[in-house]
Amino acid sequence: MTSATAAEAAAAEWEEAAQKVLVARKPCFGLPTACPTCLPVFLYLRMAQVPFDIHVDTSFPDADHIPYVEFGDCVAFNNEKGGVIEYLKEDKILDLNAKHPSASSPDVLSTKAMVSTWLADALQYELWVVSDGSIAHDIYYSDLSWPIGKILNWKKSREVKQELGITKLNAAEKEEEIYQRASAAYDALSLRLGDQVYLFDDSPTDVDALFLGHALFVLNALPDTSVLRGTLQKHDNLVNFAEHHKAQLLEASSSGLGSSSNPSSSSTPRKRATGRSYKPKPRAKKERTEEEKTFRRRAKYFLATQLVAVLVFLSLMGGADSSELDDDDYADYDD
Amino acid sequence: MAIAAAADSTAKEAPNPTSDGPAGEPHEAPPRPDHGEANADGNDEEYEEVEDDEGEEELDGPAAEAAEMERVKAVFQKLSSGPVGIRVHDITIKGNSKTRDELIEAEVADLLRSAATVQDLVRAASLATGRLRNLDVFDSVHITLDAGPPELPGTTNVVVEVVETANRISGTVGYLSKTEARSWSLEGSLKFKNIFGYGDIWDASGAYGWDQSSEIGIGVSLPRFRSLSWPLTARMALSSHDWLKFSSYKEQLLGLSFGLLSTLHHDVSYNLTWRNLTDPTQMASRSIRRQLGHNLLSALRYTYTIDQRDSHMRPTKGYAFVSTSQVGGLWDNKGLKFLRQEFDVRGAVPFGFCNAALNAGIAAGVILPLGRGFMQSPSPVPDRFYLGGNSSPVCSLGGLTSLLGFKTRGVGPTELRRFVPSESVSDDSAAYPGRDYLGGDLAVSGFADLSFDLPLKLFRDAGIHGHAFLAAGNVAKLSESEFKNFSFAEFGRTFRSSVGVGIILPTKLLRVEINYCHILKMCEHDRGKSGIQFSFSSPM
Repeated sequence: MTSATAAEAAAAEWEEAAQKVLVARKPCFGLPTACPTCLPVFLYLRMAQVPFDIHVDTSFPDADHIPYVEFGDCVAFNNEKGGVIEYLKEDKILDLNAKHPSASSPDVLSTKAMVSTWLADALQYELWVVSDGSIAHDIYYSDLSWPIGKILNWKKSREVKQELGITKLNAAEKEEEIYQRASAAYDALSLRLGDQVYLFDDSPTDVDALFLGHALFVLNALPDTSVLRGTLQKHDNLVNFAEHHKAQLLEASSSGLGSSSNPSSSSTPRKRATGRSYKPKPRAKKERTEEEKTFRRRAKYFLATQLVAVLVFLSLMGGADSSELDDDDYADYDD
Repeated sequence: MAIAAAADSTAKEAPNPTSDGPAGEPHEAPPRPDHGEANADGNDEEYEEVEDDEGEEELDGPAAEAAEMERVKAVFQKLSSGPVGIRVHDITIKGNSKTRDELIEAEVADLLRSAATVQDLVRAASLATGRLRNLDVFDSVHITLDAGPPELPGTTNVVVEVVETANRISGTVGYLSKTEARSWSLEGSLKFKNIFGYGDIWDASGAYGWDQSSEIGIGVSLPRFRSLSWPLTARMALSSHDWLKFSSYKEQLLGLSFGLLSTLHHDVSYNLTWRNLTDPTQMASRSIRRQLGHNLLSALRYTYTIDQRDSHMRPTKGYAFVSTSQVGGLWDNKGLKFLRQEFDVRGAVPFGFCNAALNAGIAAGVILPLGRGFMQSPSPVPDRFYLGGNSSPVCSLGGLTSLLGFKTRGVGPTELRRFVPSESVSDDSAAYPGRDYLGGDLAVSGFADLSFDLPLKLFRDAGIHGHAFLAAGNVAKLSESEFKNFSFAEFGRTFRSSVGVGIILPTKLLRVEINYCHILKMCEHDRGKSGIQFSFSSPM
């Protein structure tokens, strides 16, 4: 019951919000945001035909909480409740999957798991381990000063290697494993997609957003020599899927959804509906807290007075002692 | 510093290098017929020492004493009649096994060689002793004026004897303030002195401050470098400040700072710091959220100080002026670019009764972002001005932060924090999310403080005194095009102010202030309370 209330509150907040802002990393390689974590969220919002502004964050490349969506005074962070998309779905704010109950849930979930683990790992591997760092630099570190960028880049590559379990000894095997899994995933997705417009029947799901984000990054950001890109390009229907939706969502959008003409500088405070929030805490709790506060304050005064009394005593005693010492330095000599 | 001199020099024209100490006391100095020396001793408690090197003749008992007295009188008469010319022939340095000769010579040579008369020379010798002691690497310093070579009359050889510190390592624990941090902190440090013989002092220190800030660092200071005659310092520090309660962010800093010029009035330093702002609670307001992340602060700071007050802790007359300018963004185009300027003027006027004095001062500061689109860009949050806190305005010269009666960072523009629809509420009321204090780009604060002795003699002896004060201040935002909405009339109308009385107890460890403050004017969302407050600061 209570979480339903919270969800309703969040949904109401979403509805009321005059402006929704997606904070993501910078655009690059012809993509509105080149970071592989931010791009699916962007595409999901576009698919849901929600008008939103985009604000670019350039100074926090190693943040867990980016991308995030601000609506009113609420924020949906990437590192809370499983991510922005999950949060929006859970609170029934924006659930694309709800629109077609014909898609069987285990299918959607298992495809999503495959895309979020195998394909994501392969992409991270290519971006941070295989690549010479220029792609990552362009996306994440180009607006930071050189020493900071270098150190953060080094830290991130080390982290990715640790996460993927790559060491000097098993590097070759791991690489093979990663590419094999990616290849198997692409085969499965290609089969799933077939000739359809979307992966599951004819309406979009969050898996479409996730896979589209991945595919667009692989096709546009990774170099021609990339193994992952080569593997993806073997599946024509997947490539067509990516190009078709790119044209539809990204290029056609500049006319449509009224976004980002007015980036991030407007911050007019919104008046809240009075019946809903910022009420003071219920009275019983408040009184108890007042008592506690008074008690604490009195205790602080007591302790402070004790301390001051000790210090005064010491200083007075110290003052009395020092006044007894005479200055013996001068010795009088009479000629 | 008492100076003693013993009489005598060589031949007839040769003047006698003796003088009285500044206290006007002659010292016992058994002069020898051929040879004598003068000592300048920096240690107050020691008696004058006279040392003989060569040719000790022994006279017997009272006859010897009488002869000495005669000689001393003759010498003093000669000196008091007029200046006695002398020239320094040679300066010899003894006792320095580790310290380089060049360092000691550079400190004292010019001073001694420029003296033309005996009186000047003795004065110069005492100054030189003071300078060498200030290097803080010697246990004791003696300067001896020896007779010059016999073929050159009217000259003297100066012998500088130093005793280097036996104990190279020293540790201190103290409660003091740093200029970099904005609050008082408890600091412990280890000092290693004179490791390379250049008078270098290395220190490793750790500090923990009132505002949950902590810092560890190592630094080195050189008294002089090649031809530069002022001290140079370099310091590397790793520190963190916790502002979660006030502004919902934590700062971590890793920085290098270099003190490039440090004289009585001027101070130039360069700071290169990697600054990282994070928000582990994820409750920050929008403006703070936008500023989280990594930044390279590369800034040059110039401070000009004139301080003619008679005391730092309880000034009764004089004036002081401090101007601090800081320019950031010197490393490359991507770092934080801003210009920050602060002024602080204050003066003290004594009244005749009860050792009373009126201290008044006004301070103002402004920060502007630089670079393209500077009118719309925000100023960096940690460098803005924040008013509030209990530190005494009388003692903190050049700090534009205190406003008695208001809590730390309790004044100025605020913004609502993130609202999280709560899960544990029944009748759809939500907890108030709180506000972040964002600080301002323009800050002005002023104070007037009347300090007076208390009637009891006991208190007067211990230095305990009372004071009544009036403090006022205001903070406004100018960046992000807010300056278009700014008006001086509105700024003046929203000035916060408070009055109060209090007692100040200067003890050896801390300076304690107990104040009763009454807030005269505060604005919505300010955090200030009328009532009794305690404030602690460094005794220095």
